[in-house]
Amino acid sequence: MHILQLSLRNTGRNKQRTAVTVLSMAFACAIMILFSSMMAGMIQGSERQIVEMNIGDIQIHPQGYRDDPDIYKRITDTAHILKQLAQQGIKATPRLYAFGLMATHGTSSGAQIRGIDMQREQTVTKLHQHVAVGSWLDKTKPKAVVLGKKIAATLGVTIGDELIFVGQSADGFMANDIFYVQGILKAVSDGIDRSAVFIAEQTFRELMAIPSGTHEIVLRRPTPQTDLTQLTTQVQNLVPEYEVKNWKKLMPAIARLLETADIQSLIMMSITYIAVATIILNAMLMTVFERMHEFGIMKAIGVRPWQIVRLIYTETLIQTLLASTIALIVGWWVANYFSIHGIDMSAIMDGSVSMGGLAFDPIWYTYVTYESLFTPIVFLIVMAMLAVMYPAWKAAWIKPIDALHYR
Amino acid sequence: MKLNQLAFRNIFRRKRRTFITAFSVAFGVMLSVTFTGTGDYTYTNMIDTGAKMGMGHVTIEPLEYQNKPTLDKRLQKTNEILQQTRALDAIASAVPRIMGQAMFASANKNVGGAFIAINPELESANNNLFIKSLVEGKMFTSDSKRGIVVGSKLAKKLRLKLGKKLVYTTTDVHGEIISHIARVTGIFHAGVDAIDGNMVLMPLKSTQHALGYTADEVSLIAVLIHDQRQANLARDLIRTLPSVQGYAVLSWHETQPDLAGMIAMDKSMNYISQILVGLLIAAGIFNTMLMGVLERKHEFGMMMAVGLSPSTLFRLVMVECFWLALLGLMLGIIITAPWYYFLYHYGIDLSAGMGNDFTYGGVLIDPLFKARLFPESIMFILGSVFTLAMLAGAYPAWKAGRTPPIESLKTI
Amino acid sequence: MYFYLSILFSLMLASSAWAVDARTSTILSEVDDLWRGSSSHAIATLKVQTQHYSRTMTLESWSKGKEKSLTKVLKPLREKGTITLKSGNHIYTYLPKTDRTIRLSSGMMMGAWMGSHLTNDDLVKESRLEDDFDAKITFEGRRNGQNIIEFTLLPKEDAAVVWGKIVLEVEAERHLPIREVFYDEDMQVSRTFTFTGLKELAGKIRPSIMHIVPAYKPDEFTEFIFETLTLNVPIQDSFFNKSALKRHQR
Repeated sequence: MHILQLSLRNTGRNKQRTAVTVLSMAFACAIMILFSSMMAGMIQGSERQIVEMNIGDIQIHPQGYRDDPDIYKRITDTAHILKQLAQQGIKATPRLYAFGLMATHGTSSGAQIRGIDMQREQTVTKLHQHVAVGSWLDKTKPKAVVLGKKIAATLGVTIGDELIFVGQSADGFMANDIFYVQGILKAVSDGIDRSAVFIAEQTFRELMAIPSGTHEIVLRRPTPQTDLTQLTTQVQNLVPEYEVKNWKKLMPAIARLLETADIQSLIMMSITYIAVATIILNAMLMTVFERMHEFGIMKAIGVRPWQIVRLIYTETLIQTLLASTIALIVGWWVANYFSIHGIDMSAIMDGSVSMGGLAFDPIWYTYVTYESLFTPIVFLIVMAMLAVMYPAWKAAWIKPIDALHYR
Repeated sequence: MKLNQLAFRNIFRRKRRTFITAFSVAFGVMLSVTFTGTGDYTYTNMIDTGAKMGMGHVTIEPLEYQNKPTLDKRLQKTNEILQQTRALDAIASAVPRIMGQAMFASANKNVGGAFIAINPELESANNNLFIKSLVEGKMFTSDSKRGIVVGSKLAKKLRLKLGKKLVYTTTDVHGEIISHIARVTGIFHAGVDAIDGNMVLMPLKSTQHALGYTADEVSLIAVLIHDQRQANLARDLIRTLPSVQGYAVLSWHETQPDLAGMIAMDKSMNYISQILVGLLIAAGIFNTMLMGVLERKHEFGMMMAVGLSPSTLFRLVMVECFWLALLGLMLGIIITAPWYYFLYHYGIDLSAGMGNDFTYGGVLIDPLFKARLFPESIMFILGSVFTLAMLAGAYPAWKAGRTPPIESLKTI
Repeated sequence: MYFYLSILFSLMLASSAWAVDARTSTILSEVDDLWRGSSSHAIATLKVQTQHYSRTMTLESWSKGKEKSLTKVLKPLREKGTITLKSGNHIYTYLPKTDRTIRLSSGMMMGAWMGSHLTNDDLVKESRLEDDFDAKITFEGRRNGQNIIEFTLLPKEDAAVVWGKIVLEVEAERHLPIREVFYDEDMQVSRTFTFTGLKELAGKIRPSIMHIVPAYKPDEFTEFIFETLTLNVPIQDSFFNKSALKRHQR
């Protein structure tokens, strides 16, 4: 009889057993798909949150600006650069920085004012979504400011309060004006929390007497798949006279933390895979050993050992393929669901939290990659094939007389 | 016949199945230990690091200091509070500190930053992270008038070297602007720019003098405890002291809400991971038990035929499950012990594979994958793995009780 | 601008705190007396030249004692009415554009005053320099075709000054200041003040121009030019009141 036919019949004959084996493998595999997607999501999510919050993927600065932030060090051809970046499909936003004093009702604090291009900024970062109280800057209110969390506490201001800025404008005059608190941010990063005051770009330019040029251009990768190092080189070639750095170089400590987390999740995954392996091994051993009796009879009626091996392997293959299909469909569906809706963990925590000075959303999104989908499947098939080796060998060469007593 | 005997016989008769099931359980233990152990280790490490950076596990401070830490707010009965606090059992150390903002200037440049004034006699590398990360020079003495220990990045910005002077300008207790000179006795490098470029340590006595504080006045008292998990307990205990009435006593959850939130988030991620892993383990046990039951249809049918009730069969399988789980736990302890020992003492160096651009300067980032379990975590792991095993066995057991006596006799 | 000159000369005040010999003390106090009455009124021009801008302002200032002074911007129009009030250790700024008065925090003390090469801290330090330095005569005789006396001022051990030393040259005969050089801790020149434009002010010959050059930016300078100076004018203490700042806004 044809082996495939026979194994199909065997698989179908004991539906309950097949179902238990297939489902447990499928379950383990689906969980692995979800788990891998969650791990990928954690790493990718942390990176995205860091990048989206404020820093962007890549930043362009005038040479030496980062070491000594001097308002006179500026990128002069901003519009041209932005246009060129846009042509390559890269979203970018210009920023301006200055230091000064923010004062109100007898208290004051050193502040870093940040001139923001409201329209562009929103395409690059998600700062505007991190307002804790009040609202983000808007075009109709040129005198509105949004403050970092700690500086707002230091000044003791709330929404609508008046703030006076005093500093030195680029032409040496005293820059001063009254502003109104429009919003207060959640924790973003220590620097922003402690000293940042966001204002509209045009207001900044008038206040500080800087009609043109910017201190920083922040850009985002066109797609998450774009290679960061390659893009950095590409942008550097575009603006050879400026300093171009990606976020991993700008925040090495955080990049390092993430790499550490990456390896940590690898360790976790490998251990979990071992657990999955035991399940597969378990399932395969059980389904073969349980049927030793049957194989003994087959041997007794003259079936050759290799035929039995082939039979068992074909059956295993059918079962694993069935399990893989179920796992892929279920795992994908669930992982995909959480990649859109996320796992809300705010129930156990409150408000925004920060890691290494960076705020994180308490929502855990999965990230479905080819690896997270197919690694568990390949692992399942390979493990099943390996696991069945021993019982198959045992079954193939068993003496019929032993099989009758086999337990 | 006694159920236990019967169950034992079944377990021993099917050694392979028993071993596989026990192994699944054992792996559950190992996984849980790894997840929980690294969590316990990392969180404790972070919380302790955070505590050693200034505020302690528990902070005694003036009311409202938390929201608006200004130098006019201060504790007034420092020594009395210190004495009463140190008398408590849970407390490892309690140190007085003054924390404030200041402007630091050399002839070259001036930058804004923050200072922590400490009494070096009371502080050591064990309770002060900055002392631990001292890379040049040494701490000032407690009587030092002008000693200052600065962060490496701040030293670079101001072009300071050991022995060079620096002028700090700040606001004193009356809101007056004051300037004083200090000489660099040491430089620390914690490895984080925000700290190395901002922070300085100053002698408590001379700072009190400079700010117009009396010798009994400080900004806050940082209390370190032996076990960070007792922070809220210690806080409540300290709150009952007569000397702290009228002051705020806060635990690190309140003084470092960001850290607390981050840990809460990581914990919840860990929980979710553990639930998934638990499901895997349960699926494994469920699978073996169910297969075992299905396989023994014949046997159960016989038992039913000779008059055993379904509930007895249910109990029989549950008892088997119980012993299997117990066996699994034991096996789990056997295989986990060396792994845990390794993680506890050595850990896995995560920085190894990262290439040369990453140097782990400083002490803030721990590149080791290490584990450390709290005793109750061990109990929790064993308990939950056991419960999981019993739950996974419930359905097969119920199934066993439902074996129809006649039909099962028909199968082979 | 008396206010600023006085910063520099106050360090020569013949105070009992001076750890100097009688002659040093006499000359320094004589130099100081040249500038300091019990009170003063002055109109001065402030010129600032930097790599990025150059600007000219006209200022009017009043002072009383060492602790109180008030400076108002007369020109240009853009900053007209801006007032800086120094009272003891504090500096307040009145901003006509916002109609608000702000007290400068310790964090702002190192900031540039009016875009010049002087910091707000230089203003406050004025009255403290005398306590902070030990002075002695380190040279007497001809230098650059002039008879001069050179004083070297070394900061006292505890003094909150960033300088390594200050060297002051005065004319030997009239005891008028010529040059003052500030050194950093490594004894490198940090900034140089030169005094020129001798003319009659408040009934006596005095230098009317003070020129400041930062050593690390030799192309830049800040310059004060006295237009008028009156000493010992009667001014009420309340004139220097913070709450009175708005009133000076005429």
